[in-house]
Amino acid sequence: MRWLQRGSGVVLALLLVALVGWTVITAAQEEDRAAIEPATARKAATLVLARCAVCHTTDLIAQQRLPQDRWTVTVEKMVHWGAELSPEEAAVVIQYLTARNHPGAPDQLPSIEAELATMEPARAQSAASDGPLTGIAARGAALFAHNCQACHGEGAVGGAGPKLARNAVLKNEGAFWETVLHGRGPMPAWGAVLNRQEIADIHAWLTTR
Amino acid sequence: MVTVSRRGWFTTLLKGIGAGMVLGGGGSMRESAPQAEAAEATGPLTVRVTRPFDAETPVREFTSWLTSNERFFVRSHFGPPPAEAIQPEAWRLSVKGLVKESLSFTLKDLQQFEPVSLTAVLQCSGNGRAHHRPKVPGVQWERGAVGNAQWTGVRLRDVLQQAGVKPQGVHVQFQGADRPALATVPLFTRSIPLAKALHPDTLLAYEMNGRPLPLLHGAPLRVITPGWMAESCMKWLTEITVRVDETPGYYMQQAYRIPETAVRLSSGLPGSAMVPVEQMPVKSLIAAPAEGDTVRIGPVTIQGVAWAGEAPVVKVEVSCDDGKTWEQARLLGEGQPYAWRQWQFVWNARTPGPTAILCRATDAQGQEQPATSPWNPGGFLWNGWDRLTVTVEA
Ligand code: HEC
Ligand code: HEC
Repeated sequence: MRWLQRGSGVVLALLLVALVGWTVITAAQEEDRAAIEPATARKAATLVLARCAVCHTTDLIAQQRLPQDRWTVTVEKMVHWGAELSPEEAAVVIQYLTARNHPGAPDQLPSIEAELATMEPARAQSAASDGPLTGIAARGAALFAHNCQACHGEGAVGGAGPKLARNAVLKNEGAFWETVLHGRGPMPAWGAVLNRQEIADIHAWLTTR
Repeated sequence: MVTVSRRGWFTTLLKGIGAGMVLGGGGSMRESAPQAEAAEATGPLTVRVTRPFDAETPVREFTSWLTSNERFFVRSHFGPPPAEAIQPEAWRLSVKGLVKESLSFTLKDLQQFEPVSLTAVLQCSGNGRAHHRPKVPGVQWERGAVGNAQWTGVRLRDVLQQAGVKPQGVHVQFQGADRPALATVPLFTRSIPLAKALHPDTLLAYEMNGRPLPLLHGAPLRVITPGWMAESCMKWLTEITVRVDETPGYYMQQAYRIPETAVRLSSGLPGSAMVPVEQMPVKSLIAAPAEGDTVRIGPVTIQGVAWAGEAPVVKVEVSCDDGKTWEQARLLGEGQPYAWRQWQFVWNARTPGPTAILCRATDAQGQEQPATSPWNPGGFLWNGWDRLTVTVEA
């Protein structure tokens, strides 16, 4: 898999990103600006794409310049209206948006999509990395509803994304893991949001559909 | 509660992802037809939100009296409804609530009432939100969420009179056919006081600049409340309900409200009672030259537009030295109620270098455009002096 060949290079790049990110932040000690780790930023940006872009595009989010309290109120309002975020996920999104889109941030920022594309994957994980996992279908149902249903439909019958129930990709584990971990086109990458066990649980549940 | 059909839901979702994730690397999802149409039909607008599509008009377009349908700013909360919902065979306008007789109209039925045309400014309440400090959440409109168009339709009053408003009915509620992506989001439902609804100039419009109302502007029918901000001008109108009270719900009770003090152009700080946004405050814009232009030493024609809610504009002043001195501009043509007034000023540019050009208007009630608008939490009703920078070249 593409991912594995990059092993130590990734770690180094991550360290660099972390270091550079940290210095920039200390230099610009904005009142509202909290430092954010690259891994957290990556997870948050993935969440914004997967959970926020359901009702409106991310440009509406990226054009705001708000302090933490207003981001908190805004994200809470979105959750109240149906954005699928657990309290922990909401906290990560608020932290990311406050760090990136605070009142002192530059007028021109890259889109959240473009920013995510430049971020290094946050943690090394792949299907093959530590041997086979046994997914638990009962746990997968809720994980699917929370993360995938908005696009793949209730019962995985398809919607904005393809039908996954009885999809051939379920038998091709390499392709399944590759797509889910790293994303493909409009399909978000989940490697920074879900751990291997959770993905295996979703896979197990999907095979029961 | 209104539920959204699964199909409509997915279509809307698809639209969003198709448009919003282009950068993701061109997956299998395409922009849906209405979205693509929107992009083609709107020409060079400045897009603020891809989906639902929100875009403003570049101010250079305001050198013309009427703003064309293709260049007119676009704003909605959820994007246009599915085409099926507004096809002539399917579309109906229902009038109900506190009326003697509930009625249902096709577009042809409505066109039996006396047609009325008027030219009126339509402006989003959030126009200029980007200028408020501290910054406020919402679509970051700059100067162009406004336009001047000729609207043709029938009087809302005539329609209400046919149904017969009961004495308890004092608010008139509007509902359009547009629906949010998820049914958990509140519907965009608004009401206006009966007095405004019965005003002879309040229209149900089916034409814009002599052409059938375009999809993005509310086809087949929208409300026009001349002199009032655009959130009262419900698009894709399907239901009129006469009520005893103001419409409950987010878009009437929380959004589009300002502190009472901001209406009177004083402090504008929250803490006072919040009242619905209604009338447009007096405002003017410079349409030419454009921000950053270089002009030659000698006579330079500065032109623009000015408007106010229900009172005519009586004066526009221009400053070419960053607000130190002001001179009166010439108002062009005849004043028409609700339309904007074009103005012109010939400036004799003498000193080379950069300079700021400003304009401000005054209406017949003596309200003068302030240097900056009172801050309010929703960032509504910005009408600070318009301002741009040009460089004079020898
Ligand atoms: C269930 C649908 C839905 C989801 C999911 C959603 N939003 Fe929204 N969002 C809305 C609606 C509706 C509006 C108001 C749009 C309007 O008035 O034009 C809005 C407006 C906004 C605004 C503008 C400010 C405001 O308060 O109107 C921001 C910023 C925003 N959303 C951020 C987010 C973020 C961040 C997420 C993910 C955590 C998110 N949204 C997810 C429906 C949603
Ligand atoms: C924001 C919408 C969205 C979300 C959320 C989403 N997907 Fe997808 N998914 C897509 C799209 C769109 C595709 C098709 C990608 C393409 O065209 O290449 C896809 C493709 C896939 C595929 C490949 C299907 C095939 O036929 O090759 C799998 C597997 C998949 N998604 C699983 C998931 C899982 C598991 C989740 C939740 C953890 C999820 N998706 C969440 C939009 C989404």
